[in-house]
Amino acid sequence: MSSTATAKRREVSLPEVIEKHQGRPGALLSILEEVQELEKFRYLPETTLREIAERMKVPLAQVYSVATFYSFFNLKPQGLHSVVVCRGTACHTRGSLELLEASLKRLGIEGFREDEENSVTTVDNFCSVRTVACFGQCALAPVVQIDGVISSRMTVGKLTAAIDKLRKGGQK
Amino acid sequence: MSDKMVTIFVDGHATVVDPSRNLLEACAQAGVNVPTLCYLKDVSANASCGVCVVEVEGARSLVRSCVGRVSEGMKIATSSPRVLRARKNAVELLLANHPTDCLVCARNGSCELQSTAEKLGVRKVRFPRTRKPATIDESTDGIVRDNDKCILCGRCVAVCSEVQTVSAIQLAGRGIRTHVATFMDRGLGTSPCVQCGQCSVVCPTGAITERDETEAVWKALAQSGRTTIVQTAPAIRASLGEALGMKPGSLVTGKMVAALRRLGFDRVFDTQFAADLTIMEEGNELIRRLTQGGKLPMITSCSPGWINFIETFYPALLGHLSTCKSPQQMFGAVAKSYYAEKAGLAPESISVASIMPCTAKKHEARRPEMRGAFEYWRAKGATKPGESYYDVDWALTTRELARMVKRAGIDIESLPEEDFDDPLGRSTGAATIFGTTGGVMEAALRTVYEVVTGKALPSLDFEAVRGLEGIKKAEVDLNGTIVRVAVAHTLKNARIILDEIAAGASPYHFIEVMTCPGGCIGGGGQPVLIDLEKRLARNKAMYVEDLRLGMRKSHENASVQALYADFLGEPLGHLSHELLHTEYAPREV
Repeated sequence: MSSTATAKRREVSLPEVIEKHQGRPGALLSILEEVQELEKFRYLPETTLREIAERMKVPLAQVYSVATFYSFFNLKPQGLHSVVVCRGTACHTRGSLELLEASLKRLGIEGFREDEENSVTTVDNFCSVRTVACFGQCALAPVVQIDGVISSRMTVGKLTAAIDKLRKGGQK
Repeated sequence: MSDKMVTIFVDGHATVVDPSRNLLEACAQAGVNVPTLCYLKDVSANASCGVCVVEVEGARSLVRSCVGRVSEGMKIATSSPRVLRARKNAVELLLANHPTDCLVCARNGSCELQSTAEKLGVRKVRFPRTRKPATIDESTDGIVRDNDKCILCGRCVAVCSEVQTVSAIQLAGRGIRTHVATFMDRGLGTSPCVQCGQCSVVCPTGAITERDETEAVWKALAQSGRTTIVQTAPAIRASLGEALGMKPGSLVTGKMVAALRRLGFDRVFDTQFAADLTIMEEGNELIRRLTQGGKLPMITSCSPGWINFIETFYPALLGHLSTCKSPQQMFGAVAKSYYAEKAGLAPESISVASIMPCTAKKHEARRPEMRGAFEYWRAKGATKPGESYYDVDWALTTRELARMVKRAGIDIESLPEEDFDDPLGRSTGAATIFGTTGGVMEAALRTVYEVVTGKALPSLDFEAVRGLEGIKKAEVDLNGTIVRVAVAHTLKNARIILDEIAAGASPYHFIEVMTCPGGCIGGGGQPVLIDLEKRLARNKAMYVEDLRLGMRKSHENASVQALYADFLGEPLGHLSHELLHTEYAPREV
């Protein structure tokens, strides 16, 4: 998580975020986006969704609809760190499945099915592994994003080293 | 918006159409019924199913006719090889993820996916299933959702949010994971769902149905030593025929009674008896509120979806509701107390089934407070320890009764016309019109007018509250006091009326609210595939029955008079309070 997000978490409250966007087109989307960043574990807790629905006078089912449509939103707590593996065609042909499997293994995550969900988090909320359809960096495939920074021409070796570095508190 | 008609060519035939029409309607006008699985006139046109495609000359791709507009000189091909192939593909793709247990589905024979696949000549499905199995949502008394059978047409979502403004369901997820969901996927039971069942009426498949309780009823019918009583809501006589293949609006009162006897019910009674009773209680409640300074406007309480709605969305206004139970519940309470006593039957040996146009009635019958007769007997020390029973044991929808009639092999059209049993089978025309929007209001006015003024009404027909307009208003002069009334149907219109009350700006004294479009005739338990024309036909049938019954005022119902003379005493009296009235509580979701 970036340091600005951490700062925001202290300064801005949910009602303020809602007030800022209320009435504008797409307000719900902007509010969900901003509110998720306020959460330490980057997700939208049920109580928050309920409060947004109530304050915005939007049906609960609709808030849920938007929150589940965009893969950007998380309904479960995410890890403090994130590893995002591109599963687009170019990255796939250059071995991104091995990268995904290697990162899951290195983090001790089992039973993740990418056809059913697009993110998974370690039980200790240390790190989340996500898949995305494409980063638009196909010429540099395969690409992986670690804590917001995209690395190109990734290899299993480089990736496991990077994850180990996260564990030691190197990055961030 | 029909400033100038346009000429279009449907498969080469010139047709003059209104330019505000979509292509689907324009083709129908030209005699071609373009198939569709998601379009719902006046409610939903989201072009999601892809079945209604047609070829328009000059257009790059096929056009979905439900959202396509006509223009001057447009040339449309409705059954070119390209069109037929695209439609078949669309249905085949839907079938890939649809279960193939049609033979044992509640909608077998009334499924739009089934009939469309048949019409389009789909003979095999080339695609494998890609969707994960769904869990069945059985969290409410009234409605069962099986997302496995859902084709994501969006009709239920549209009707829930646009017509009812309840918004209990929405499409959630994306891609292959898209599904109709309640908040957090916890099921309708914890959602604001009012169980009106309109979703089950518009669902093209068996994804949303009523909770089927026919097995329990068959069992009770076969059980010796059990007295089975059936009551039928007013609207059933105008829709059971249709559910069994007769013309929409067919009035089948006598044949329905005959069919119920043949199914084995020991007593065939009429909810309309209780509707007359409701008018006696509610009419007097209104007079009391008007003359003794009670909370106004008073709002009717017959429609259980509406009760769920106000308890959920407007709990601060619950004091405006009439405390009268609905006719279904008044009937149950009277059947297991007064009638049991009169007929010398042990109340616990009686089963009451009601036939309702409604799914919310199933929930109403299971409300914990709906044990008036049991409490009545308990106060007399006539119940056993650990025993308890509801006033109404099962509320079956029109659709469930139709299934029972079919299963028993009864040919309704060839049955003789029979009469309801006495005394709880006697009713008036005022009770019949409860089945359509404006009817409760008109029935109440017929009685309240005569009770207050002591004069006979010059005309019993209150035309201002009839018809299918969303909100109707009228004024009645009661001995110099002008009483202002309003009638609303669908919860969207109820919301308008309630917002006025909440703002302190309601001009009315008395308001009728019905949950469903058209009132009970358009109820959530009624035959599926309904449209405005069918609603109008059923509506008309109600007024035909009103005239046919002869007696048209609730207070003239001799059986109701006898009930007061022999048992209840007077309207709003102590026993009425115990058996016929209830209270409401806010509902958290």
